[in-house]
Amino acid sequence: MPESRTIQLVDLACTVNGRNVALRIEPRETLADVLRERLGLTGTKVSCDAQVCGACTVLLDGQPVSSCTLLAVEASGRAVRTVEGLARDGSLTPLQEAFIEHAAFQCGFCTSGMLMAATALLEEQRHLSREDVVHALEGNVCRCTGYVPIVDAVLAAAEAGQ
Amino acid sequence: MTIPRFELHVPTSVAEASELLRRYPGEAVPYAGGTELLQTMKLGLASFEHLVDVKRIPALAGIAVQPGGWLRIGATTTHREIERSALVGERLPALRLLERQVANVRVRNTGTLGGNLCFAEPHSDPAAFLLAAGARVRLGSAEGERELDVDAFIAGPLFTDRAPDELLLDVRVPPARPGRGHGFAKLAFFERPAASVACRIDVAEGAIADARVAVASACESPVLLERVGQTLVGARGADLDDALGAAVEAARHDVETFDDVNGSADYKRHLVGLLLRAAATSAYEEATRA
Repeated sequence: MPESRTIQLVDLACTVNGRNVALRIEPRETLADVLRERLGLTGTKVSCDAQVCGACTVLLDGQPVSSCTLLAVEASGRAVRTVEGLARDGSLTPLQEAFIEHAAFQCGFCTSGMLMAATALLEEQRHLSREDVVHALEGNVCRCTGYVPIVDAVLAAAEAGQ
Repeated sequence: MTIPRFELHVPTSVAEASELLRRYPGEAVPYAGGTELLQTMKLGLASFEHLVDVKRIPALAGIAVQPGGWLRIGATTTHREIERSALVGERLPALRLLERQVANVRVRNTGTLGGNLCFAEPHSDPAAFLLAAGARVRLGSAEGERELDVDAFIAGPLFTDRAPDELLLDVRVPPARPGRGHGFAKLAFFERPAASVACRIDVAEGAIADARVAVASACESPVLLERVGQTLVGARGADLDDALGAAVEAARHDVETFDDVNGSADYKRHLVGLLLRAAATSAYEEATRA
């Protein structure tokens, strides 16, 4: 757009981890940009920036989305949840506990995305097979663990009745 | 990567969206899930100064059975909505299975069927299915509407018959009925498949009366292999295996594959044959299920 034109700003009103957020943003800002740069929620990581790796996974109305390639305005009127919103009053969720118990992370870069994708699955389905977990996490890439401990952790959290 | 600056428009009718697209020739583009569009803009492969969000237009939404049994899927329906639709599950289980395997859950939650078709990605599994199913698309603009076969709509790699001021309104799939079955099979090593094959088979009086075969990913653009389907016509129970063998040979001959990171052109021809056998077998099983 030529610089002579006014830069369009749009209103974004949504909740992030249960808190009301109201911002004036540019339409081109991604949800990851807004979370990390404007709200300081840096638990959401950006890696491939192409919806392939899953590191930037957050929940939009309970469903996993890639915040790296979603315009933040798409969150208008909706509920965004990030890894920062999982623990309540310092208590980890059973899923987070299971990740620690099963050593389901090493470098940790994929972990917030894994946790959010698995949280969406656990909230929808109580009885999970290994295949269900693998299918739900197919789009989340981990270069450290070899995945087995991650799948084990999600199954353990399902058992624990998250 | 930062997305270059653009202006976002949120029309609520087809006419309004079409006017916007016409107002900014060459600078405006319809925007739905953004799965492909935002990626190409980030990479600088495409640049648009106006994005016309089509997700608030009621005429582009929803899944419904129409009079005559055609299944209408609105252009802004996400892959996840199709995957989870009870109507699709009942009538087109092969499409449900296909949609369940599109990319990953995040792409399925935002990416739309209409966006997928309009981008004309060579790796489009839905396009392969819709070609085999004999689906039709409806396009609309401020001028009116027109309808055409998916085959005519997909004009080539990353290229469709859609005019710049037209919107894809919906896709309509011919009725599911007794004696008709759909099948789909793919092999993917990465996000985008190496090869995908879709098949529709109609059985009458114990023999295959009609068969349609479409291939995606292995070739430049999703394609209907008309001669291949015809090799299956007339086959019945005992000689199905021979007919499948002939169809596999015909498909390997007719499909124009290419070398890339997924493998050589020869390898992909081989895959097309294997996947055709799997897709046609499940279509036949569905068609002959009591």
